Amino acid sequence: MERSVQAASTPGAASDGVSVVLAARRISKRYGTVQALADVSLQCFAGEVHAVLGENGAGKTTLMRIFAGEEVPDAGEVWIDGQRVDFRSPADARAAGIGMVHQHFALVDSLTVAENLALSFAEPGEWRLRPAELAVRVRAWAQELGLELPPLHTRLGDLPVGTRQRLEILKALRRASRVLILDEPTAVLTPQETQQLFAMVRQLRTQGRAVLFITHKLAEVQEIADRITVLRQGRVVAEMRAPVADLADLARAMVGQFTLGWSKPPASRGGEVLALRRVTCEPAPSGTSLRDISFTLHAGEVLGIAGVDGNGQRELFEVLAGLRPPTSGQLCVAGKTTVARNPKDALSAGLGLVPPDRRREGLVLEMTVLENLLLHDRVLGKFTRRGGRIDWAQAREYGQQLVEKYGIRAGALDAPVATLSGGNQQRTILARELAAEPRVLVAVNPTRGLDFAATQFVYAAITEAVSQGAAAVLISTDLDEIVALSDRVAVLYRGRLSESLPPPWDPAKLGALMAGLEASGAGNHAG
Amino acid sequence: MRDEASKFLPSLLAVVLALAVSALVVWASGHSPSLAFAALLEGAFGSRDSVAEVAVKACPLVFTGLAVALSFRAGVWNIGAEGQLLVGAVGVAALAQLVGTSLPRPIALVLALIVAAVGGALWAMIPAVLKLTRAVNEVIATIMLNFIAAALVSYLVQGPLMEASGRYPQTEALPAEFLLPRWAPYRVHLGLVVALLAAAMAHAGLFLWRPGYELRAAGLNPAAARLAGIPVARRLFWAFVLSGALAGLAGGVELSGITRRVYERFSPGWGYTAIAVGLLGRLSPVGVVFAALFFGALDAGSNAMQRVAGVSSVVVYVVQACVILFLASFERWQRRRQQVDSTGNGNPSS
Repeated sequence: MERSVQAASTPGAASDGVSVVLAARRISKRYGTVQALADVSLQCFAGEVHAVLGENGAGKTTLMRIFAGEEVPDAGEVWIDGQRVDFRSPADARAAGIGMVHQHFALVDSLTVAENLALSFAEPGEWRLRPAELAVRVRAWAQELGLELPPLHTRLGDLPVGTRQRLEILKALRRASRVLILDEPTAVLTPQETQQLFAMVRQLRTQGRAVLFITHKLAEVQEIADRITVLRQGRVVAEMRAPVADLADLARAMVGQFTLGWSKPPASRGGEVLALRRVTCEPAPSGTSLRDISFTLHAGEVLGIAGVDGNGQRELFEVLAGLRPPTSGQLCVAGKTTVARNPKDALSAGLGLVPPDRRREGLVLEMTVLENLLLHDRVLGKFTRRGGRIDWAQAREYGQQLVEKYGIRAGALDAPVATLSGGNQQRTILARELAAEPRVLVAVNPTRGLDFAATQFVYAAITEAVSQGAAAVLISTDLDEIVALSDRVAVLYRGRLSESLPPPWDPAKLGALMAGLEASGAGNHAG
Repeated sequence: MRDEASKFLPSLLAVVLALAVSALVVWASGHSPSLAFAALLEGAFGSRDSVAEVAVKACPLVFTGLAVALSFRAGVWNIGAEGQLLVGAVGVAALAQLVGTSLPRPIALVLALIVAAVGGALWAMIPAVLKLTRAVNEVIATIMLNFIAAALVSYLVQGPLMEASGRYPQTEALPAEFLLPRWAPYRVHLGLVVALLAAAMAHAGLFLWRPGYELRAAGLNPAAARLAGIPVARRLFWAFVLSGALAGLAGGVELSGITRRVYERFSPGWGYTAIAVGLLGRLSPVGVVFAALFFGALDAGSNAMQRVAGVSSVVVYVVQACVILFLASFERWQRRRQQVDSTGNGNPSS
């Protein structure tokens, strides 16, 4: 009995006649306190496109880096053609036929196409590069793959991104031709370029190569993939054949299943504190522009903004924080139309900001916890005396109170905030923002990467602030979190916001909205 | 604010290692390291005279080191202390030429210091404005302005500001009203007090004063500082300008304390050594004072070393270079360790 189970799961032995080229068996990888991958298994077949789907931080890239020999797993095995392999470097992986194209290309903009390709096309031990002969090899290889080449003497920086990506693929396959890993390849492409990429990927598939395609875009999976593995918080949560019948299923698998045991007491609604009217803005770099976003928010209320990442979350945060002025539309805080030209205006209008990337935007890592607790225009103002002197004695007292109240690691006041755990860092940010008594707290993925206890703490802190009359906009790609904390939920999809739904929420409906299957009532007024 | 002692540990280690490497260099060149270092120590601390000379050599380095510390703290890579120093000095020389002996000494001196600071600040304002309005890289702009400042000095001392006798390409000696009082019989002058005062003010400004706090935050993490409502661009601008003012003071003080004239090659590279001083002092004003004294001692002692042990004083540059290299590699090593420590808290994968 046990034997047969073992045999059936042995990588390399496939049931339906196609061969498994690459397999992962129970791979785990941990960075510090975060389990990036836990017990992940995956089989990748020749002549198939295998999509690995998941939110940011789900562990997709870590898994691919293990395949490409760039990371060594803590536990688990990688198998190729039924042989166990042990990659120590990217060269090992390439020798085994696995090539990876990263999101950031390994090309030199100031060199020509030919120069960029030269090293990959030189034979081992060939020290003198003969341009003419290299060009012949490059052309022959491109023809074999069926890829179109730009003129070889063009400067790389002058080429469109899609063409540069094609050269990366050409390069990767030259050295490792069996499995091609594409890490979020469409993130940088225009829709037309995406179509060209897909055509290229289909071509490679018919040549019998395996393609691992990393993405968080559902529609792409549907279009290009034969097989799907969904990762969530480092675990495989779903495996299926593509195209799937119900895209909403896929969306839910990716963002959560309403499993968390937290429920917020219902809101006691106060007056209106925040209103967006038909707000439109430019996109952030490789982002999505907001289109006609409208919602209102009352004191004591949490509005959850759900959605798959990259659908305008970043832009909505920036508009609220005053980092990104809307190109049209209105933003009212506490009944006053504000033109927040910078975060200072937003903070003085009464917003509290918990940014998506706490290490990059929320904290100054090298500064102490105390200094970080003061990193807020209004808080700083409270402790600034005549002539701009900071009253450190009082500030320290204030910091000590916050450390105690928010359970930040004791005695940490003078430690650089970089030395704190992720949970304690997030507590520091929340303490700072909530102690400033904001009218509206804007939090983006406030528990990303945190362990259970720290997550519970964040939920409790937000809930308490709201019960005392603040309002909150919770922008999160974690549906569990949204459902646990929100009084109403709206979904962002391609820069548009759906109407906001009161509980109870129907998982199928939210999934459909996130997948863009259900018209979100464009330009509607939610709330 | 922080565990100050451990902060300076890398600096001490860098100094020790740099001295060890230079001992090797001395040994390899066929001299006795022990003899050379004994002569160096004797030359720096052997007598009251030599100790005073250390202070004299350290004085301009305190100013320029502070200039570097202040700008680097704000994330502005002002490599232009050299040029700002020259403009400060030449400004004072021009002032003296203009007013001559007409002002009483205290007023003349205060005016001189103001002119030196303003001169340096104006010279720094050029790259500051270029950076903030045209996104011109300040490292390149400040380095190029150093050459322009040197050329400017060269032109002025051979032209409009040349001494009346016309014998040497140098300015007229400053009138007595513009000379900083000295502590006879040594060459130590009031400028040292001004330098220490500047260090104290820089310390207070950075750590006790709100704009200083904002400047540090903006330098370490502009994105977080901006979200906290800090006017990042404005802080960078003023850090740049103040940095220039400090470097300008170095020139003015050296002129009216020691050299009394401006000539070509007026500065032996105080603005460049300043980078080593700033880094060795861990960009802290107190640390800068000690680092300046260290480099001052090297400078003062190196002549004795050359005289007594026959070792070229160029060895001092070896020490200087090694200090920077070791500090830079410690920094990188530390950052890598920090990254490994902290990947768990961030986003390990996309």
